[in-house]
Amino acid sequence: MEKIIPFFKYRFVAYSLTVVLIIIFSLQTYRNGGFNWGIDFVGGAKITVKFQQGVDTAQIRKVLAHNAINATIQQVGKDEDNEYIIATKLTSRTENVEESTKALRTILQTNFNNAEVLSIETVGPAIGDFLKRSAGKLIALSIIIMTVYLAFRFELKYSVGAMVALIHDIILTVLFCGFANIEINIPILAAILTIYGYSVNDTIIIFDRVRENLQITTKQAFIDVIDKSITQTISRTLLTLLTTLFAVFALYMMGGEGLNEFATILLFGLSIGTFSSLYIASPFVMYWEKLTSKQS
Amino acid sequence: MSRGLIYKGIFIVCIILFAIILILPTVGKNTLRVVMSTTATQEDIQAVKLRFPESNYTITARENEFFIEGYNLNVAVMNEVKQYHGVVDAQLLPHWAEKALLAKKINLGLDLQGGSYLVLQANYHKIEEKTGKPLTNTEKNEITEQALELLRNRVDKFGVAEPSIRPKGNDAIEIQLPGVKDPEAVKKAIGTTGQVEYRLVDDVYTQKANQWLKQYYAGKALPEEQLELNKLADTLSNAIALPDTLELMFYYERHPQTGKLFAAYPMVLEKKVALAGSDISKAWVATDEYQQLAVHFNTTPEGAAKFAEVTSEKNQGRKLAIVIDDKVRSAPSIRVQINTGQAIIQGDFTHEEVTALARIIKEGALPVDLSIVEERTVGPTLGLDSIQSGVKAFVVGVTGIMLFMFVYYKFSGLIADFGLLLNGIFMLALLSWLGFTLTLPGIAGFILTMGMAVDANVLIYERIKEELRAGKTPRMAVTQGFSRAFWTIFDSNITTLLSAFVLSQFGTGPIKGFAVTLSIGIICSMFVALYITRFIFEMITSRGTLQKLSI
Repeated sequence: MEKIIPFFKYRFVAYSLTVVLIIIFSLQTYRNGGFNWGIDFVGGAKITVKFQQGVDTAQIRKVLAHNAINATIQQVGKDEDNEYIIATKLTSRTENVEESTKALRTILQTNFNNAEVLSIETVGPAIGDFLKRSAGKLIALSIIIMTVYLAFRFELKYSVGAMVALIHDIILTVLFCGFANIEINIPILAAILTIYGYSVNDTIIIFDRVRENLQITTKQAFIDVIDKSITQTISRTLLTLLTTLFAVFALYMMGGEGLNEFATILLFGLSIGTFSSLYIASPFVMYWEKLTSKQS
Repeated sequence: MSRGLIYKGIFIVCIILFAIILILPTVGKNTLRVVMSTTATQEDIQAVKLRFPESNYTITARENEFFIEGYNLNVAVMNEVKQYHGVVDAQLLPHWAEKALLAKKINLGLDLQGGSYLVLQANYHKIEEKTGKPLTNTEKNEITEQALELLRNRVDKFGVAEPSIRPKGNDAIEIQLPGVKDPEAVKKAIGTTGQVEYRLVDDVYTQKANQWLKQYYAGKALPEEQLELNKLADTLSNAIALPDTLELMFYYERHPQTGKLFAAYPMVLEKKVALAGSDISKAWVATDEYQQLAVHFNTTPEGAAKFAEVTSEKNQGRKLAIVIDDKVRSAPSIRVQINTGQAIIQGDFTHEEVTALARIIKEGALPVDLSIVEERTVGPTLGLDSIQSGVKAFVVGVTGIMLFMFVYYKFSGLIADFGLLLNGIFMLALLSWLGFTLTLPGIAGFILTMGMAVDANVLIYERIKEELRAGKTPRMAVTQGFSRAFWTIFDSNITTLLSAFVLSQFGTGPIKGFAVTLSIGIICSMFVALYITRFIFEMITSRGTLQKLSI
């Protein structure tokens, strides 16, 4: 028999790590002034502009402030490209996004020579509300669907265990967005839902092995079976994480502005997803087992 | 090799060939046919030739047509060339594989090829206010459907190729216009409802309103902002105690210098519509007796009766206002009764306005007010950058994964790498076949799935290793490894598929694209790992003489 790594023994180290992360992330999110919701969810406008050489953030900010426009300005791409994303969020629900975007555009073009508008996005408040609602619905829906599927393929305790790990991942990832001040927009939502699938995927591989090992040995203590199963699958778990991270890292380095934050979230979420499969999902099943066996 | 294996091999080779042919229209050369006008100057022709330099494209000319062959020819390029001076038409010729195998092209999303995306929200309140009862969902759907048809006509007039116009829920319409850089003109055309109404003017209250304005608003120009104007209309109506049957609107004039329309003075109209756009059967542009452009129209029989009634003796001397999109644009006095159902809309119109008006009357007004609630416009250069960085990330990511697999699993890693390449080809083929629209998140999904695709291989290989460690022969270990890993792979992939499915239910296009590439990637990788790489391993171990498996 191979050596079995006593994962379970170190579970409290893992729990404290989770708790510490949650505290740090929450505090930093609070210091950042809450979550940074993108215009997809709150409504507003986002303009990508290419300016002439010599224009910098301070200049743009000055011009906008002069016109009483509150906007976030962010340089994108290479320095010599001189491209900026200027985003304004809706201040009141009755504001006409269409009109204010037009105004913003005119201001930029009259104040800066040859300011070239590369892209414009405007989102009305109704769309934002709609997206927020459907995002919530989506997340709830996928949790239900997966719980049912896993309960059908495995047992309820595994299914609930996988979901607890999942919720752990989502909470941490969303808090990470607040921590790193990453704007929560639609691509980020897609990244979170991908982490979803991936995290469950990892958990299942381990549970699948637990189920298999339980069939072979009935005498072993449940803890040992779990440790053994994790040990047997750990190389696979880490290898897949590694290959996926290769792809995500390439996206992070080379995917350009559009995909940078998307990749950051994936990098964080996929790693945390693997971690939670080992330390949240499995111990949960363990505790559940303990509780129910005591009762019976 | 057994006969079964040979058949399997032939089947696999066929599938691979089929997949390669399917992606030809997307990655291979395409042909663009450009038809020049007979009056096109040498410069016009030169401009087209300059757009397609000979180093990248081959151009064959035939009479007044050019056939341009090369890579990267897509709808956006086609729309761009259409705008060139002297170009009558441009179209992409179907690739031979498209004709032969019903293959389609992977289209680039607006974020990659540039273009405009608009969402128009229908405002049913006005209709509900008029009818006094809320609309049911079926009614709303009907109205949206009508609006959709009209919008399609209006957008078609702009010569934008392959626009996509479809309903979004039952109260919004989504429009995608590839290659359109500045959507202002299109927005103007689709944003106006084009509602035309004839309504009688109430002179007494009109005078009251103007007097009030002179007294309390003296010297000031009326506000330009629609919101401000609406507020003013409300205060005015209250101040002069407007009865319920009347409505205060503004008469619009054209600024002599800027040519812009502006609200000149208030005018009080009867709420009752004397003649609506729907009462008109035919409209055309012609000059009137003063050689001014005007819209001539014929009414329907019912319309004729209504018109005769409103122009009858009792109303003679009164003004009949022509209201277009809630703006009073003309208010001639009624002099004679019109029984024929033929009339003219006269006023201070530009040539463009008159043609637009005639067209709108002909097509009918939009059945509901539409306002733009979401707009995303991407310029073509930004899109090109995104594609380039996406391709770069793809190449680097995949190379990294392949190197890693080779280093870690030696020869078996090479088999997995081969599978990964096949996986990429299959994904492209399926996406082409579906005529998929690739967006930036779609590219991300593609790259991500390449990373996840080797997961199945890793699972199988780890299993085989375990079996080998347990002392099994390579052949046994391979068979056991594959069959034992099967359900694990199945279960774990199904959950990812489930979340991708839920994701695809999310309305917006880019996310759908991401979900679809993710799903297709999972399906392809399962097929490749569980069928094709398994076949290769079976082939290698089929002799039974293999002592050691390089894994």
